[in-house]
Amino acid sequence: MEKRPKIAAIATIYHKYAHAQHIVDRFLEGYGWNSRHHYPPMDLVSLHVEQVKDNDLSRDRLERFPTMKGYPTIAEALTLGGEELAVDGVLLIGEHGEYPSNEKGQRLYPRYEHFKQMAEVFERSGRGVPVFNDKHLSWNWEWARKMYDISQDMDFAFMAGSSLPVTWRTPSIDMPLGVPVSEAVCVGYGGVDSYDFHALETLQCMVERREGGESGVKWLQAYRGDAFWEAHHTELWSRELFEAALCRSHTLTPSRPGFNNPFPTLDELKEIVKDPIAYQYKHNDGLKSTMILMNGLVQDFNFAAYIGSSDEILSTQMYLPMPPARTTLANFFSPLVNNIEQMFLTDEATYPVERTLLTTGLVAAGVDSLFNESTKQETPHLDIAYQPTDESTFWRT
Amino acid sequence: MKRIAVVTTIYRYLSHAQHFADRFLVGYPKEGRWHRPNMKVVSLYVDQKPEGEQSQDRAREFGFSVYPTIAEALRCGGHKIAVDAVLLIGEHGEYPTNEKSQVLYPRYDFFKACVKVFEEDGRAVPIFNDKHLSYSFEKAKEMVEDGHRLGFGVLAGSSLPVTWRLPDVDLPLECEIEEALMVGVGGSDPMDYHAMEAMQCMTERRKGGETGVAAVELIDGEEVWKAGEDGRWSLELLEAALSRSDTPCGLTDEDGRTQDMIGNGEIYRLVENPAAYFIEYNDGLQATLLMLNGAVRDYCFAAKLKDEPVPVSTQFFLTPTPNVTYSACLIAKIEELFETGAAPYPVERTLLVSGALESCLTSRHQGHVRLETPHLNVEYRAPAESQHARR
Repeated sequence: MEKRPKIAAIATIYHKYAHAQHIVDRFLEGYGWNSRHHYPPMDLVSLHVEQVKDNDLSRDRLERFPTMKGYPTIAEALTLGGEELAVDGVLLIGEHGEYPSNEKGQRLYPRYEHFKQMAEVFERSGRGVPVFNDKHLSWNWEWARKMYDISQDMDFAFMAGSSLPVTWRTPSIDMPLGVPVSEAVCVGYGGVDSYDFHALETLQCMVERREGGESGVKWLQAYRGDAFWEAHHTELWSRELFEAALCRSHTLTPSRPGFNNPFPTLDELKEIVKDPIAYQYKHNDGLKSTMILMNGLVQDFNFAAYIGSSDEILSTQMYLPMPPARTTLANFFSPLVNNIEQMFLTDEATYPVERTLLTTGLVAAGVDSLFNESTKQETPHLDIAYQPTDESTFWRT
Repeated sequence: MKRIAVVTTIYRYLSHAQHFADRFLVGYPKEGRWHRPNMKVVSLYVDQKPEGEQSQDRAREFGFSVYPTIAEALRCGGHKIAVDAVLLIGEHGEYPTNEKSQVLYPRYDFFKACVKVFEEDGRAVPIFNDKHLSYSFEKAKEMVEDGHRLGFGVLAGSSLPVTWRLPDVDLPLECEIEEALMVGVGGSDPMDYHAMEAMQCMTERRKGGETGVAAVELIDGEEVWKAGEDGRWSLELLEAALSRSDTPCGLTDEDGRTQDMIGNGEIYRLVENPAAYFIEYNDGLQATLLMLNGAVRDYCFAAKLKDEPVPVSTQFFLTPTPNVTYSACLIAKIEELFETGAAPYPVERTLLVSGALESCLTSRHQGHVRLETPHLNVEYRAPAESQHARR
């Protein structure tokens, strides 16, 4: 019988609907997958939770799953209380919990700090094991880059990012591999330094499949409020693509009372969306991508791009079954956990972490642009070229 | 440009008439574009006009007339039929319920009023009938026969067969199905109807096509679980269907956890009054609809195919309110009927489901007896091409 990998989970907090609950629970309780209730063929043996508050669920999980032990430090969770690394894979879930924000509005989640503590154990043990880092790498670009460099230097499999690239799509399509893409747009919702990241991952998981692969990003500029509407009016991004993306939404706020699904006029858009935000960025190969947050108008993530030699539109929605309003389970975590499982079993990331390194830098550049009166941010440090996987990795089965 | 008459029970916010007819007025999302049908609503008949209803508002804004009778709506106030298609929506509004708890929506009466005009005026036009054809199979059968007799296209049914699926799968045409199972929720009727039609749009693709239903039985309460243990329906298929659900209740509601609801026994605790609708087809296929209120809140299907080790399963995705974009998927099919005169999939599906549901409810009313259903010898072939939302 194959040896079952031992997994450690390092989380900031573990409460209902925290990312740790969604991810770790799937390793413990199993999840619906391909017509079965699937139990990952591995054991979550150790858990470190940094913040334990009244709503904590980690104690319940430790009690109900006695093969998993709680540890007071990250190092102990990785060594199982011993001297050396004693697990075969690590989940780093630095999302949710009470952490301060900086003057730019970035929540200072300790992803880098946790990663560093983990890397010290790897260093001391003379080996690393596969690591999944939830969401972007760090709020601080320099630190994010260090995380990536350490994984390269120590040569362990490293995956990170959002569920958006791997969840269901309606329609269930992918960007054809190697097709020319001249412009791409994602229309989503949520806040700066949070859901902007999901929208950027939505864009990147599609455009990275274009002719030549990802070439890196030259500059980024943010638009907000009146500047957004001015840019929309002058078509700094394609209005046709923006509208195509909206036509994939299942959650368009009705712009007229008594109608359940009309298409909004520009005046109605302005009435509905009080604080529109866009990050537009130029890739090194000339592609223009625009991430748009339309809070109030939609509650889903929709992608549209001009592809091919005749600028045909390709569009889809990355669907999030989002609790508690629409579902009870955040099942977009199921394909994410399934990809993580594959990495733990094979020691290979199922998609490139360079995607998330790039989107991490794009979030930071977007935040910087907004903080600096929407000025254009040159991004020579985002000269991150990478190739996509040949096979699609989103949820299709 | 095709001219459409809307014949409905009630036109108010979030009624079927509102979100169906409105899509002909303001357009709808279709294959990534905002699509505006090249047809015009020219007349409306509405049976009930309570306070807050919208028919007069819509008529004024979109330039059509509301007529006091169905005949006048079809003739646009003149002497001859003056429309090219009828959108018949007998859903919502206050109507009595019979002893089998069927709501007596006047779909048959509305349909027959249209047929009378067709016959008198010597011209028949396509009709879309929302949901099942009638609470009575005899009436439903007559409606379908009218279509064949006068040569007009009839399309009917639910949005579930044509909405998005998670995952995007269909049963392979001419596959050999060993057993099928559907999980549904909601009241009876109407929601059992939606679930049953979702199941039917899958099973009809089996080898040899649809052969009709030989017998039905509806059981409820603890007997449902006992029937599962006895192998009358498949626990493996229930697990497969539940693997597609995004809405397990109980412990998931409490703390967000995923759960194996069969393994941990929660499903037996959560469902206060389970019901199983057993459908025995003429070719021997057994299909079961489980109505599991309290356990989940979505519609999932599973089937065991011959020589396939793992069941096929999917969720019929009912997209969120108020957009209910699943109804846009159905409008695209209605538009195709109106444009071409031919139904994109056979109305016999809805006829069979109308009858099978009626017989299930009769079974319940008669003390959960097994009822042979020789009258449900409805044979038809599914279209080769899948009809659900995929683009």
